[in-house]
Amino acid sequence: MYRYDEFDAKIVKDRVDQFRGQVERRLSGEILEDEFKPLRLQNGVYLQLHAYMLRVAIPYGQLNAARMRKLSKIARDYDRGYGHMTTRQNIQYNWVALKDIPDVLEELAEVEMHAIQTSGNCIRNVTSDHFAGATKDEIMDPRPWCEIIRQWSTFHPEFAFLPRKFKIAVTAAEHDRAAIRVHDIGLHMRQRDGVVGFEVHVGGGQGRTPIIAAMVNEFVPESEILDYLEAIMRVYNRFGRRDNKYKARIKILVTETGPEEFTRLVEAEYAAQQASEKIALLQAEIDRIHAYFAPPAFEDKAETSDAFERAKAADPAFANWAKINLHPHKQPGYTSITISLKPIAGLAGDATDSQMAVMAHLAETYAFDDIRVTHAQNVVLPHVALDDLYTVYRELDAAGLATANESLITDMIVCPGLDYCNLANARSIPVGQEIQKVFSDPAYEQDIGKLHINISGCINACGHHHVGHIGILGVDRKGEEYYQISLGGRADEKAAVGQIIGKALRHEEVPGAVKTIVDTYRDLRTSADEKFIDAVERVGVEPFQEAIYASE
Amino acid sequence: MTSVRPKLKPETPKTVTAWETATGNVVWLRADQTWTQDLEEIGVFTGEAAEAALAAAKTQEGSITDPYFMEVTADGEVAGRETLRESIRANGPTVPYGVII
Repeated sequence: MYRYDEFDAKIVKDRVDQFRGQVERRLSGEILEDEFKPLRLQNGVYLQLHAYMLRVAIPYGQLNAARMRKLSKIARDYDRGYGHMTTRQNIQYNWVALKDIPDVLEELAEVEMHAIQTSGNCIRNVTSDHFAGATKDEIMDPRPWCEIIRQWSTFHPEFAFLPRKFKIAVTAAEHDRAAIRVHDIGLHMRQRDGVVGFEVHVGGGQGRTPIIAAMVNEFVPESEILDYLEAIMRVYNRFGRRDNKYKARIKILVTETGPEEFTRLVEAEYAAQQASEKIALLQAEIDRIHAYFAPPAFEDKAETSDAFERAKAADPAFANWAKINLHPHKQPGYTSITISLKPIAGLAGDATDSQMAVMAHLAETYAFDDIRVTHAQNVVLPHVALDDLYTVYRELDAAGLATANESLITDMIVCPGLDYCNLANARSIPVGQEIQKVFSDPAYEQDIGKLHINISGCINACGHHHVGHIGILGVDRKGEEYYQISLGGRADEKAAVGQIIGKALRHEEVPGAVKTIVDTYRDLRTSADEKFIDAVERVGVEPFQEAIYASE
Repeated sequence: MTSVRPKLKPETPKTVTAWETATGNVVWLRADQTWTQDLEEIGVFTGEAAEAALAAAKTQEGSITDPYFMEVTADGEVAGRETLRESIRANGPTVPYGVII
């Protein structure tokens, strides 16, 4: 877990005081919206359809009980009793009044949190694998490097006014759960001859121009990574387009320049760095940050738990949840659990203040005070003893937090859409809910297997529709909501952009079309073991197009 | 960046809408050019009167934020291409929120 030193605490406190003054001047009319807008955005404050929205940074999705309790309190005291988890592993409040936001930020500072760099053309919250430090399939815990990159990128004066926003993700597991190839920079931690380093991918992104990142360097040793990142940022800052916001992301620069030439520019910039410019990251400093993320004091336990096995035998609902929502832990006798925020016909990614309080309590009591927000808008308790699992499950169930659907078709990424967002063209949430109802029979859903549906309410792609196995994009046709469907997208180590399968459908046609796609898959899969995405890659989109559009 | 707002013809009935700066609440202009949070109370304007109402609203950008024209019928019902957006803006999300399912 990261910690503030006295400088961090002072910087954040000073920023709260500064913003309080800016808000006071805005409320008095001394400054108007045009002047105030860049100031509020630098503090995570948007003006949405109904109200201000405050986006709070959760560094690489990492929380503890005290921070989750604070988020719960803010939801209760300043908002309407809930918050929304985002695909950048952050939380958004939808109804907070501007006059209250300085007080909210002050409360956040009490628990070492803030809303800085959650908007604007700067380096945003670094994201990572939500099972970091727990999962069996990682070569190391990536969070210390997420934290080092966070410290490097926070208030970095050279990168405060980039051509456009900038997103970095880090993973250390072979299976990429952090979607690094659709980030401006994606870092995959590697080890070579005993040296820790990073495979560097640059120029991925979604929005109106979806692009999979190019690998620009197979291995940058950890001692050089910040200097290498600086070289990338400098090339982007210098050559990235500022004449057209739709062409301003680094993905356009990499594409227009060509990955080889872009890499050459980065290498030249890196080579030209003077010794005095280098970030002399001392090993002692690296070690200090790593110490913050030391593994919890696990007990020596057997791989299996009698209590766990007995509970599964006695309670089929628990057994079903445990089959779906657990992830293998590197420590024998422990597991990581996904708390799904996708109940059938619920609001994807939303948690009420009371649910946040329950999650905080469980983390503190049973999970080494560790909580993660996932980029798929769920919450993870990464370290839970199998012996305690049934107790944790029952408390989750009582709080409406025991939906058994992790990575299944009803576990969708859904942006706020036109129900909240000023940019959206169409609603996302009701479409997701209606699709969920089609697949609400657990036997049917589990027969389908792993399948990611991602829904965005506009081309900005906050719902990651381009990389959904089934992607759904809301579009506006003369004031009416239509939805474009794509197939074959994926955000993992085989990242791909989905292919649009035909003309957009009316709102009410979408759930039926998704069912047709799914049933077509079930008919053509080679066996129950062939996943949806694998089947789409094998047969292409044509059988699905025919199934949906054949009658026209 | 906000959504593109359609240009309305002078004769198209319209009101002026904005956000209350302190709270972010959605507000509309009454006929007497005071602000209301009740869609039932809005003023309907056309032509030069509408332009004058918007110009007057823009002089109040301390207490309100980003005023713009919203299309309505002569009876004050939300109308036009932005009906869905403005209805949601007026009435809130179309899905229940803040509840445990």
